[in-house]
Amino acid sequence: MAKVLEVKELSKQYKKGVYAANKVSFDIEEGEIFALIGPNGAGKTTTIRMISTLLQATEGDAVVAGHSILTDPKGVRECITYLPDEAGAYKTMTGKQYLEFMAGIFANDKNTAKQYVQNATEMCGLGDRLSDKIGSYSRGMIRKLLLSRAVMSRPKLAILDEPTSGLDIINALEIRRMIKELAAKYGMSFLLSSHNMLEIEFVSDRVGIIAKGRLLELGRPNELKIKHNVGNLEEVFERVVKDNEISDLA
Amino acid sequence: MKFLTLLKKELRELLSLTTILTLIGSVVLLIAIGGVMDSAVEEAASSEGEIVICNKDDGAFSDAVIESLKTAGYEVKEVELTDGDYAPQLSDLEVESVVIIPETFSSSITDVLAGKLGEDGKIAPVDVEYVSKMTSLSAMSNVDAGSQMALSAIESAVKSVVYANKNMSLAEIELIEAPVNLIETTVVGEKQAEASSMLLSSYSMMTGMIVPIVIFVLIVYSSQMIMNAVSTEKIDKTLETLLTAPVSRLSVLMAKMVAATVVSALFAVAFMVGFNNMMGGMTDMVSGEIDSAVISELGLNMTTGAYVLLGLQMFMSLLITLAVSLILGALAKDAKSSQTLMMPIMGMAMVPYMLSMFVSINDMGPAKWIMYAIPYTHTFIAQENVIFGNMPLYFGGLIYQAILLVICMTIAVRLFMSDKLFTITFNFGEKKNKYAKKKSLFSK
Repeated sequence: MAKVLEVKELSKQYKKGVYAANKVSFDIEEGEIFALIGPNGAGKTTTIRMISTLLQATEGDAVVAGHSILTDPKGVRECITYLPDEAGAYKTMTGKQYLEFMAGIFANDKNTAKQYVQNATEMCGLGDRLSDKIGSYSRGMIRKLLLSRAVMSRPKLAILDEPTSGLDIINALEIRRMIKELAAKYGMSFLLSSHNMLEIEFVSDRVGIIAKGRLLELGRPNELKIKHNVGNLEEVFERVVKDNEISDLA
Repeated sequence: MKFLTLLKKELRELLSLTTILTLIGSVVLLIAIGGVMDSAVEEAASSEGEIVICNKDDGAFSDAVIESLKTAGYEVKEVELTDGDYAPQLSDLEVESVVIIPETFSSSITDVLAGKLGEDGKIAPVDVEYVSKMTSLSAMSNVDAGSQMALSAIESAVKSVVYANKNMSLAEIELIEAPVNLIETTVVGEKQAEASSMLLSSYSMMTGMIVPIVIFVLIVYSSQMIMNAVSTEKIDKTLETLLTAPVSRLSVLMAKMVAATVVSALFAVAFMVGFNNMMGGMTDMVSGEIDSAVISELGLNMTTGAYVLLGLQMFMSLLITLAVSLILGALAKDAKSSQTLMMPIMGMAMVPYMLSMFVSINDMGPAKWIMYAIPYTHTFIAQENVIFGNMPLYFGGLIYQAILLVICMTIAVRLFMSDKLFTITFNFGEKKNKYAKKKSLFSK
């Protein structure tokens, strides 16, 4: 399958000698759901922000559908959508106005914009509540609205930072189902980040375990469980981090 | 098309229903205040023709004086005061002031005419008492021009009697009454006209009050508006979403600047109309005493050209405010810190605003250079510079502001183009908490 994202030794140094991301490398194929997992402060968001062209990489590169984040960030932005962790929306707009505004930004003509709004309206399942002000929405409703916005243009790569963070079980399950459905139905690729490893085990095809800015392990959840002889991804993570600490000391 | 979509969104955000209602409410309120001030001015003007007199004298002179006041066109209201406790009596009579002609009025004049010397070897002047009530600290409430004029009229009447008794001719009396004919010429810039500088300065003060108020309100309002808009976008992470969309960062930045400029300009026009209405009555009162041709001759009135120059200065200040606020808003961590970050802008607007009301900044000596360093100073003194023909200073200020604007815009663009937008934040509240934490640990 064609590669939608190629991350090549991507690094971000905020202070001299302190790497938020250190030579991170991985690929995502077309229609694949890839997740970066790790605790808070592991470097997930920094890596995602570099790929989304929000932050400039100190070293390395990432190529999205043939566009480099270093030389063609505009081209990258044409191919991706990004949903930040705990993002909000414009509270004074109605759900529909928000979708129309975002569609106007992503689409190049009015008909395409209309199609995007229709896609998002069907996807979010908010029905008549789309005519209400976003300020009156619950957290779950906002997240569904934002997720439907993030996929309405059917981007080659949707980057979702902690997509179910702060949501109740029902809403979280719905969002996971939406992601799987989109990947299967439209061949969209997803780059997710989460510190909820059980959720990732359910939704993703492949995972990358990241800690202290370094990508320590890469593979399918089942393969990793077998490799480390444990029952779930949390235990894989524990084993990988501990092994890594031991090798660091050695 | 995408820029227009962004611009429409920014305008919709800034011109919310609450903002529009606030704008309309402010203008209505200013016009209503103007109405109240107009009626106060009219009331003060209407009291000019009425004189309240308490005549305790039985002699012929007091009757003659009162008669001469009536002949001069005054409406004389005679009242009785029983004792020296005036407060309750003024309230009962429902008057604000009384001119009291004492019992000794006629006899004193007789003594003056006879050249009778007092104990100190001098001819004693004639006593007239004036009692007035102060009802408020406001200037308009204590205006009682009528009785003040009555006192001068009584003085003139007494003088006439004395002069007539000295067998002076009418021409001689007129000469003594006005021995000096003051021909006052006021020079403004390179122009001059025969007019009282005191009256002209009262007129300039009244008309010059409106523009600084509007500038101050505009700076504070526009700064708050864009700072809130940017910091809210950053805090809600909607800015991150926008900056990963297929639009240039410059478009996002420019849409915010243009929308804020349009809304601020709208506010400027609305406040200008509101304040003009509010001050209208006061200005009319002062300008009524001056020939409008003299004002035009001296160039003290704001011509279209002067308004254009003033507008240009205001626009420059507005753009600097928006650029600085954009930077500060982008660096704010939360709503509280964005309010704190607004303080320097408030201070930079407040200092020249207050000073320009009381002193001429251009005549401040070496301190004026510190004031000139504050970009807003040039806008506060723009009206003065244009009227008095200090054009090098006006254009110097404009160039200085333009340089500052370029610097601020460059910083804003660089900030929006760089990582710093997401990696640098100012949070004064957090620093305080850290300090408090350290302090409490230390005290243990």
